[in-house]
Amino acid sequence: MIGPVPGVAVALGALLVLAAYYRFRADSPPTSYADGGIVTPKIGLTTTEKPSGLLRWLTTVDHKDIGLLYILFGTAAALWGATDGMMMRTELLVADTTVWNVETYNAVFTTHGLTMLFFFVTPVFTGIANYMLPLLLDADDLSFPRINAIAFWLLPPSLLMVRGGLITDVVGTVVGLLPLEIAALTALEPVAMGWTMYTPLSVEMTNPQIDVTLLGLHLSGIATTMAAINFIVTIFTERPDDLGWDELDIFSWNMLVTSGIILLAFPLLGSTIILLLLDRNFGTAFFAIEGGGPMLWQHLFWFFGHPEVYILVLPAFGLISFMLPKFCGRRLFGFRFIVYSTIAIGVMSFGVWAHHMFATGMDPRLRASFMAVSLAIAIPSAIKEFNWIATMWNGRLRLTAPLICVIGAMSTFVVGGITGVFLAAVPVDLVLHDTHYVVGHFHLIVVGIIPLAMFAASYYWFPILTGRMYNRRLARVQATLLVVGAFVTFVPLLVLGYLGMPRRYGVYPAEFVPLNQVASIGAFILGVSLVLWLVNMIQSARVGTIVDDADVWNLKETDQFTREWQWFEKRLAERRSERPDPDEEP
Amino acid sequence: MGRARRGAIVAAVLIPAVLATVPATALASSATDQLISRLNRQLLYIAVPIAVLVEAILIYTIWRFRDNDDPKPTRENRQLEITWTVATALVLLFVGTASFHVLADPAVSTISDSPHGEPEPGEVPEDAVEVNVTAEQWAFTADYPNEGVTTNETMVLPANRTVYMYVTSEDVIHSVHVPDLGLKQDAVPGETNLVRTELSETGEYRLYCAELCGAGHPEMLSSIRVVDESEYDAWLDDQRSGSDGSTSNESTASNES
Repeated sequence: MIGPVPGVAVALGALLVLAAYYRFRADSPPTSYADGGIVTPKIGLTTTEKPSGLLRWLTTVDHKDIGLLYILFGTAAALWGATDGMMMRTELLVADTTVWNVETYNAVFTTHGLTMLFFFVTPVFTGIANYMLPLLLDADDLSFPRINAIAFWLLPPSLLMVRGGLITDVVGTVVGLLPLEIAALTALEPVAMGWTMYTPLSVEMTNPQIDVTLLGLHLSGIATTMAAINFIVTIFTERPDDLGWDELDIFSWNMLVTSGIILLAFPLLGSTIILLLLDRNFGTAFFAIEGGGPMLWQHLFWFFGHPEVYILVLPAFGLISFMLPKFCGRRLFGFRFIVYSTIAIGVMSFGVWAHHMFATGMDPRLRASFMAVSLAIAIPSAIKEFNWIATMWNGRLRLTAPLICVIGAMSTFVVGGITGVFLAAVPVDLVLHDTHYVVGHFHLIVVGIIPLAMFAASYYWFPILTGRMYNRRLARVQATLLVVGAFVTFVPLLVLGYLGMPRRYGVYPAEFVPLNQVASIGAFILGVSLVLWLVNMIQSARVGTIVDDADVWNLKETDQFTREWQWFEKRLAERRSERPDPDEEP
Repeated sequence: MGRARRGAIVAAVLIPAVLATVPATALASSATDQLISRLNRQLLYIAVPIAVLVEAILIYTIWRFRDNDDPKPTRENRQLEITWTVATALVLLFVGTASFHVLADPAVSTISDSPHGEPEPGEVPEDAVEVNVTAEQWAFTADYPNEGVTTNETMVLPANRTVYMYVTSEDVIHSVHVPDLGLKQDAVPGETNLVRTELSETGEYRLYCAELCGAGHPEMLSSIRVVDESEYDAWLDDQRSGSDGSTSNESTASNES
């Protein structure tokens, strides 16, 4: 049993050892180049310079490798968060707690939210941008490859910290079989304060895991901010001279605005979390009733929290605007207006936060002004939808899996967006706030347009990432299933909200059972769709058809063979000249 | 023109189908509910057709231009952009104006003058019912200061009289959520918030806590029974004489349902 003081000593010793190691390393000549990309900046040959095996992935600073790591990490987090989601929908099949108890249910929806928001959506989009931005900008790498690697490697420990309660539970159970007693492991329980962490509840809860989770969130915020700074600098400085702002692709534009929002919003979350940690552990009174008051937490949290919503969704908008024209055979309609609308969303996203607090008893004059901005932000969102439809109009639509995903995203966005307008209207929000309506509304976005944009990207760029083609029929089935599943799951929740069922209820009145069961069936459809995607990705990456022609999507004929595909074509040609053609073998 | 007509037909078929799924609100149960339900209906009358129309156009576009032999290059159209921006703005302007009118009504927007202090009864009309609603983990307590009655069972309120509820919390944030009466007010410790309404339909209405407040959150249920004047007086007398066993059975029964 290690007491608190020896624990500090152990940490100090570990740091000293680490310092000594680096001191030693600094003296010895470098034996291997972890970073092949810097030795030979010529993209496409970098793989031959990298160390092989696990060491390559641990030491890489190549944007493509880090991009893949981000995507794999985000996918793993998504599967973990989806498991939480499935657990919730299983519990809600019945009105009382037959599957899990209320504490478990509360923990599961808390970690579901934290995992999905901080460790699934943003890492996956960061990964896609990591891989694609330098290619789209014709840059060698991101501006700060090492910061890029640090930003990624901070994420796995922060995820483990946020989800620590469950891990220590499992470890504790395993260790408990041995004749050992480790109190620290059993003291940590999965956090159950809701992802919004409202004070005073989050201050009063005694579970020490909450502190670990808060530190993990703080760490993930640092990682996210570093990645955002990297993107901003890259987009500003790494563009070639002939690539002006008017020529910049729409995905880079969206990543630029997203990164700007991150830069302004995430540091605030970090500071707010520190205040909460101080309140919990050092007796400060930032959010105490006799101090700053519980409302201060909500203001600070949502000042981060609402921009966060757009941090999640703007990259998805960007991907859709980017991919849609490729499958319509014509350029994006209203490029300039889509860029303006993105910037407008970025600016306005900082002026809507109090619409999460309409029921707290705020001054009605304040409520009215936040209602005005919250309604106004629907305009740029609608502009995007209209421009997408106009892009399709008069085009030649090819209903491939990426386009099915994009269209599905557009259709869920209509319902997800319009239901949001109801919540912006203060009086209606007063009835619907904190009911399942809210859950249905935002899940139509976060299980609609966001994963659909990711799936579309995964299919669209699959040849670049793996050199192989995915199973097209399975992909079409998967995409359709996801759209159907999203509507079947979340439209019943909208109705449940109208009937008054509050959210975060593991036990609920019996009259809500049928609609909840429909929603759970929908959730299981979503789960099946997710598994199909996973099978397709893994199996196709292993044994899919090898791509020989870089123009997988016939983009040349419509003059949309963009830079990342040109890079891919060049790499295929280089590979071909290096190795004998596999087709020539008998 | 033909396209527009087809779109309209699709919309005409789909709108009633979608409207049917929207729960129809029956007679208003309170002044607040009446205002909010009417606003909600107005918004639905705009939102559902717009949603159906956009989805229909989307589906029609896919159907019409799928593998189209004669694609046309994209040509920018500033007028179209301005048109749909202004159109969206006008719709939202209507939503904002309609919501603002409802928001400005005293049955919807109620702030007490001193949220941190005691409510000031001087402003309250003579015949109004005043109730202090205090939430704590995990129950609601209703205190009728003018009647000398306190209950943590079903809250009984008279119909057709103005009700003033002063909502506060003892520990963490809770929320008084009575969906069928159109009422919601967070119960914030250290603050007293006012809910003002007039109840019109007698009956029993479920009262939920709608803000996560710990392990007992989903079982923090109670109810509000709206009765006529004489029954209300009888209930008050009953409470004053100290027999609060009569209401406890009902509230626990509703909890277990």
